[in-house]
Amino acid sequence: MLRLVLKVKTLFFIINKSLQGNVCGQEFLDMALMAAAFDQKVVLLFEGEGVNALVKNQCPEGVGLKNILPILNALPIYDINDVWVEKESMEVWGLVEEKLEISVKSISREVIKKQINAADHVFSF
Amino acid sequence: MKISIQINASPYQYQAADTAWNFIQAAIDKGHEIYRVFFYHDGVYNAHRDSRPPGDERDIVKRWSGLQVEHGVDLVVCVSSAQRRSLLEQSVASKVGGYENALADGFRIAGLGLLMEAVIESDRHVTFGA
Repeated sequence: MLRLVLKVKTLFFIINKSLQGNVCGQEFLDMALMAAAFDQKVVLLFEGEGVNALVKNQCPEGVGLKNILPILNALPIYDINDVWVEKESMEVWGLVEEKLEISVKSISREVIKKQINAADHVFSF
Repeated sequence: MKISIQINASPYQYQAADTAWNFIQAAIDKGHEIYRVFFYHDGVYNAHRDSRPPGDERDIVKRWSGLQVEHGVDLVVCVSSAQRRSLLEQSVASKVGGYENALADGFRIAGLGLLMEAVIESDRHVTFGA
């Protein structure tokens, strides 16, 4: 049996790889959702190649993969409201906000660095 | 210090399991507590009972089992990662069918909740294998 957990930590989840192509991205999102279910403060950051996970109109079903866009759309239901994207990565991949499936906060590398330092735990995959 | 460990990579193909092992030994030697080792993604293969490496190589699975016997470290394998990768424990196999005895001694199967509990309870959570 799990003990009743009352501590609230800030958990930083960094998505810096494609969420498609293998199952790890999907399993990583499961971790973030579970953290939210445990009432932890979850920050989801997309950077590097990971920013492409946010692009609208993806159809991974065409190659037999699960579409993760419904999960991204459900994040507010899990009380995950801090969804960030690294500004510099958006520029590298030529992305603008209108091309993204969900609304995210665009944040510079400099600010992200400070936020990561302030987090209790940092996860990546 | 209370430390929890997460292992994300399969043994032998990556160094993660070896590095984690050495890290854990050093931490215990220094008097730290290993709260839990959680096996996720391909890391679940660290728990495969039927792993049989050549006799002159380290036996990674046996080494984990020994850690549980010697230090009582809680070795937890993620149930959904494991089911995808054909590692079923009796209670799961009896529900979904399949080989019932896949997990080596000392490992137990559980959900992500136990990972989160470890993260929340520990001072440090260290992940091996990107």
